[in-house]
Amino acid sequence: MSTLVATSAPEARSSQGFRVAMLLPGALVTLLLILFALGLVLFLAFRGNDGSLLGAGFTVANFVTVVSDPLYWTVTLRSLIIAALVTLATVVTAYPVAYYLAFHAGRRRGLLLFLVTLPFWTSYLLRVFAWKIVLAYNGVLNSALIESGIWSEPTLAFLNTPAAVVVTLAHAYAPFAILPIYVALDTIPKSLIEAASDLGARPFTSFRRIVLPNSMPGVLAAALVVFVPTVGDYVTPALVGGPASTMIGTLIQAQFGKANDWPFGAALSVAVMLVILCVVLVARFADRRFGSRT
Amino acid sequence: MAFDLKSISAKTVCAGLTAFALALSSTVAFAGDKLQYFTWSGYELPDFNKSFLAAHPDGVEASIFGDDDDAFTKVKAGFRPDIAHPCYDKVARWNKEGLLQPIDTKRIKNWDSIFPVFKNLPDLQAGDGKVWMVPWDWGNTSILYRTDLVENPEASWNLLWDKQYAGRMATIDAVHDTPVVAALLAGVNPFDMTPEQMDKVAEKLREQRPLLSNYTTDMTSVEQALASGQLVAAMTWNASATSLKKQGVPVEFMKPKEGMLTWACGFVMLKDAKNVDLAYDFINSRLETDSGKYLIEAYGYGSSTSSAFAAVPKEELEKLQLPSDPEVMLKTTIFTGPMKQNDDLAKMFEKVKAGG
Repeated sequence: MSTLVATSAPEARSSQGFRVAMLLPGALVTLLLILFALGLVLFLAFRGNDGSLLGAGFTVANFVTVVSDPLYWTVTLRSLIIAALVTLATVVTAYPVAYYLAFHAGRRRGLLLFLVTLPFWTSYLLRVFAWKIVLAYNGVLNSALIESGIWSEPTLAFLNTPAAVVVTLAHAYAPFAILPIYVALDTIPKSLIEAASDLGARPFTSFRRIVLPNSMPGVLAAALVVFVPTVGDYVTPALVGGPASTMIGTLIQAQFGKANDWPFGAALSVAVMLVILCVVLVARFADRRFGSRT
Repeated sequence: MAFDLKSISAKTVCAGLTAFALALSSTVAFAGDKLQYFTWSGYELPDFNKSFLAAHPDGVEASIFGDDDDAFTKVKAGFRPDIAHPCYDKVARWNKEGLLQPIDTKRIKNWDSIFPVFKNLPDLQAGDGKVWMVPWDWGNTSILYRTDLVENPEASWNLLWDKQYAGRMATIDAVHDTPVVAALLAGVNPFDMTPEQMDKVAEKLREQRPLLSNYTTDMTSVEQALASGQLVAAMTWNASATSLKKQGVPVEFMKPKEGMLTWACGFVMLKDAKNVDLAYDFINSRLETDSGKYLIEAYGYGSSTSSAFAAVPKEELEKLQLPSDPEVMLKTTIFTGPMKQNDDLAKMFEKVKAGG
């Protein structure tokens, strides 16, 4: 009963306790897994490689090599182009799916959303290998083309090319693009579209002037969520890419593996992070300029 | 708006990662009483250590690597198996890093039946009847080609530089394979070279890059691609030749005039191995005649013990192109020993692969 008298103080304390308990896991994850790891990478990037785990001495030589060797520019540019193509392919194909989900799916929406996320039930490697089967020399695509008489002999042009990397990644990241666009489309008030047609806008005009601008935040979010991880991807090029599609992730991985030069790998990672940061800043500017609803 | 979504997904991903890491660490804790064996893929088969598994059912847990340079960095970074399976050329490197403990040959029952050519390898000697590595397997690296798609090739590594077959060749993504061959063709000593000579090797590798379908250590994919005709020639190890011949694919394992590469690998014990007794049992089991015989017959690799060779019929060995004494083989091949510039070569090779 005594608690009833002094309700406010313990309640405030317990609600504060609850807040701390809720924030603690997030804070731990941020501090330990993200900031500490990031700090370690930064530290390592300025070390010299003497074969030991954390390197020795402090130097900027790693960054000088990254900047002065044209190879790293080429490979970074290649990664950005591949990631941009993947993003474009993903967003363009995801938009109609999200549009259908938001406006026409009706009762089937739950089922369709489930189907969109279904590929995630299998391992990413399995999905890559599925594409290998489709694109291989004696694979599904080649066999179909020969069967239908379009080609007389199988082509090597599908597998082990940058195009194969783009297709595989675009498929893998489709749900990441569909979901944010769907959310953006779903929150557009239906009355806006009705008002547009009341004022005489034809369906395409109301799409162009109402739906598309209002869904831009979703599109930009989708683009970012797809673009950032694909720049650094290394599994996909290793499995379906061939020598012409080596991406920066492959080079970074090699520094931490075979090449045994962790400081240089860390410097490369930092450089790539900076490049991605620039892209994100541009996207952020675009978001403010084109994405805002108000 | 855009960034809200992103931060939410990033947090979810991180939470997922933490859960995953926790799950992983708990499985590691459970596995403590099993022998942890770190090896090449395909070398973890139970048939290689039947007697060990009979004495310790489910007593070994294998982790797999595709390349022993990658394995080295993984162990250096704190992965602690009990036994690992690098090749001879890497032993000195592992040792220099202080990762190994000597293995007492008195506790290795079949030590005497190991061919002297392997027992006496310089980097193995730890003094006082102890060794850093117990040799188990040896084999060759060469070009495996389709006899119907490549007609009468000159027996030379140059086949992998032949523009005629551009896009239909693959090579092994490991420092002790492709760069060694490039050095041989460039007329450079692969095991010790000056920076200028390394440039020559790089030049040779650059020449090859546009002709290749890919660089890989995934031999299953290479075998499938050779079987389908996507590839006409690839650098492989004996096991691929054995496997494709068994499937009836028309292939030949070339004897290049510059010499095949011959390698030997074996077991090393990690410095802070928790299951030392299990490790000795395991090595002993692997050196039994049956195990070596299985290695020869299933993969076409050589066993390190003469007793295993004695158990395999002569015709079988001829079919596999394996002489019953590795010293005969080594007269015509190049033994992959320690490479002085291993790290520099690795870096250079990575750059060439990326297009530099």
